Amino acid sequence: MNNRTQTASRARHAFLLATLASLIVTATTAAAQTSESRKDAKIDIVPGGALNIVNGSGSVTLHSNSGHQVLVTYVVHSEKVEVDQNASSNKQRVELRTHALPGQKPTADEARVDYDITVPAGVAVNVSTTSATITADGLSGDIGLSSETGQLTVRNVAKSYVHVRSMTAPVSLTNVSLTHTDIQSSGGAVQLNNVTGQRVSVGTTTGNIEYRGDCSGGGNYLLTTHSGAIDVTLPPTASVDLSARSTNGTVENAFPLQQKSHTSFVPQQGRSFAGTSNSGSSSVQLQSFSGKIRVNKQ
Amino acid sequence: MNCQQFQETLPYIIESGGGDEDESHLRTCPACASLVQDLRYIAEQAKLLLPMHDPNPRVWDNIEQSLHREGLLSEGRMSPPGHTKKNSTSQTQAKSWTPLGWIVAIAAMVLFAVVLINYKPKQLPQGELSAQNSTAEPTPFNSDDRQLISQLSQESPDARSAYESSLRDVNSYISDAQKAAEHDPQDAAAQELLQDAYQQKEMLYQMATARSLP
Repeated sequence: MNNRTQTASRARHAFLLATLASLIVTATTAAAQTSESRKDAKIDIVPGGALNIVNGSGSVTLHSNSGHQVLVTYVVHSEKVEVDQNASSNKQRVELRTHALPGQKPTADEARVDYDITVPAGVAVNVSTTSATITADGLSGDIGLSSETGQLTVRNVAKSYVHVRSMTAPVSLTNVSLTHTDIQSSGGAVQLNNVTGQRVSVGTTTGNIEYRGDCSGGGNYLLTTHSGAIDVTLPPTASVDLSARSTNGTVENAFPLQQKSHTSFVPQQGRSFAGTSNSGSSSVQLQSFSGKIRVNKQ
Repeated sequence: MNCQQFQETLPYIIESGGGDEDESHLRTCPACASLVQDLRYIAEQAKLLLPMHDPNPRVWDNIEQSLHREGLLSEGRMSPPGHTKKNSTSQTQAKSWTPLGWIVAIAAMVLFAVVLINYKPKQLPQGELSAQNSTAEPTPFNSDDRQLISQLSQESPDARSAYESSLRDVNSYISDAQKAAEHDPQDAAAQELLQDAYQQKEMLYQMATARSLP
């Protein structure tokens, strides 16, 4: 009986060891196949310097920090691509560029590189991607983001210049204040939440535009589209001088506006309207060719 | 080798399979690969219309007589060299290939030749075809657009359709904005729409150009 128990116990141990060995081999093989590698770098940059990033697919996430170094962590998902780091001798410019190795034609999945970058305050950032998502959070320098299809997100930015370009990538800006904002998107939808500044300009061809906020700051807000819809939601406290025109589309207004005695165009029922609320400190122009424009009360 | 050069050697490629340079282009250009695949398929199907052996000489007589009867051929023009005319009573001996069948087969060959010469796949860049097809229907793209799309087809085929679609949309935007601005030249809003439309197009060009940079 004891012998049989010992034999069964040894068999169980052997089975467990074999399973464990199998798992280790599988995990090692998978790791080797994905060839995923992670690297860290610290690059000196002077205040007011510029950081340029070019990355086809994957992601780029940017945070803000104090100090005089750009802290970079990136994960490369194949051996077919690599990251070049360059810094000018005067530390004015830092460049991170993902590129395929000579003779390699990585797939979109193999070309992925995920960057996580901490940027010193006041450093200008310029990111260009094809399908990689870009997220900029809390930056204080000028920001230029461009992507064909990767989601573009900007959060918690103040007193800077934000320039965003997208082909079909969705664009989202949240809590961006006192900032000069310029967004061009061909087909990607643009969402603005609490975005204010001296100039906020959004232009799309087919992409929808959604604005939620008070348009404060006495700035110029210009939302323009060819065939996309424009949806604006304002709080009752918003102080705006607003006009909305759609050449072939329709306009709807559910926000209390005082009619203006004089407008630069003749208002046309269902196609255009204009009016002011409170002291009308900010100019808001909504223009569409064939899309629908709606102004709502929050 | 670009698409235009490749297409100039198409008959040779269909007949012989092409050289290394052609093979290399085919591997990198889905548009041309698709074209060659289509043409090879047509060629294969056309072979089914042809006889597997030489027809009986009487067949030529029958074709000739039919053409004479229809008034399509004058005396002595059709018979192949060395071919002796036979009595029309031999018509019943042509079992598998009637005159009508031969006319259809020849017509099919002619049709195939015409298709081979004039075939233009839809997905080929318009810019490369414009020189050969000046009477083609107007497209929503100007020559710069076509050049850009052609360039993208070669360097980033996967991005081509997205750019093509975006360019079509923005050209429509420009066209509408131009009409609005012409309709009322004093309308500042129309001018702004037009300016915005051109900015959209400029952006697309910049993005596409950035793709080709090393």
